[in-house]
Amino acid sequence: MGYNALTMTMKKTATQALSAALPVMAGYVAIGIPCGILESQIGMDALMAFVMSATFYSGAGQFMECNMWLAGMPMSSIIASVSFVNTRQMLYSAAFSPYFTNVRKRLTFLFSATVTDESFGVNLSHFVSDETWTATHATLVNLFCMTSWAVSAAVGALVGSAVAIPTAIAAFAMTSIFICLLVSQPLNHITAVVMVVAAAGVIVCKLMGLTAPAILIGACAGVVAGMVAREVRVG
Amino acid sequence: MSTSDFLTLYLTTLVTMLACRCIPMFVLKGRDLPEKVSEALGLIPPAAFAALVANDLFSTTMFSNGVWAGLMPLVASLVVVVVARKTKSLIWCVIAGVGCYVLLTLI
Repeated sequence: MGYNALTMTMKKTATQALSAALPVMAGYVAIGIPCGILESQIGMDALMAFVMSATFYSGAGQFMECNMWLAGMPMSSIIASVSFVNTRQMLYSAAFSPYFTNVRKRLTFLFSATVTDESFGVNLSHFVSDETWTATHATLVNLFCMTSWAVSAAVGALVGSAVAIPTAIAAFAMTSIFICLLVSQPLNHITAVVMVVAAAGVIVCKLMGLTAPAILIGACAGVVAGMVAREVRVG
Repeated sequence: MSTSDFLTLYLTTLVTMLACRCIPMFVLKGRDLPEKVSEALGLIPPAAFAALVANDLFSTTMFSNGVWAGLMPLVASLVVVVVARKTKSLIWCVIAGVGCYVLLTLI
């Protein structure tokens, strides 16, 4: 491939990735700014907010850290709770593994290290439905979203409490993204069992006070129930 | 929060996060997985999204500001489901969801 053809391909890949990432990027602005505002309240400056958002890169985790810190919780229990909440990332990492068989280590690491709930949904649906979707596309989606998140958090930390954004409304942007991704899943008797059990599992966990591991336990229960449903059907 | 507190919190949670994000990928990548395992991996997306939606919509304190305050996100969610089925578009779902939520808070 000549130089020009190569540049053209790269441009096309970047454009495709950007258009897939845009809805998530917009959502990250809406929720990243309040996150930065909250981080400034526990004494983080714009640089700290940027670095944390670009590397640790977890909306739920960052909100939890601030809220628990403001509530005066000990450092050890903040670390334990946040780490527990983030264990759901193991499921995403496992789900992507079949698509990275022949991808080199460095790109695989960069991709894995930047997966979030939202970019997981966007990339996995592209991998499933679009044969031309590559590891490069997926990594670019992650990096675009991460940039939006990190810049928004830094802006939030800069403006501090000068702006008031109702967090419940901003957070509903993310809920809407999850609902859209859920509705876009193929619906059959197995996935229906998976969805109902996963949602019920989360609610039961919360009623039992297991808020931090609720997503992981619920999702695992859903997968197990789906496997059982498949056995019964095949049985 | 002092710089050393920040570094302790940041670095430890970063390490556990990177472990969760990267280890399963590198352990499973390039292996011929048993059929059962591949099937289970395929069920992760519906399970994860159902769990994430339920986690956002339900909490033990959801009715502490009144029944209507707790029901509002559920009503807005139904609107998002309709928009999602019609458009399959993330951005329309975000606009419809947030717009509907704002309208409901004004009622």
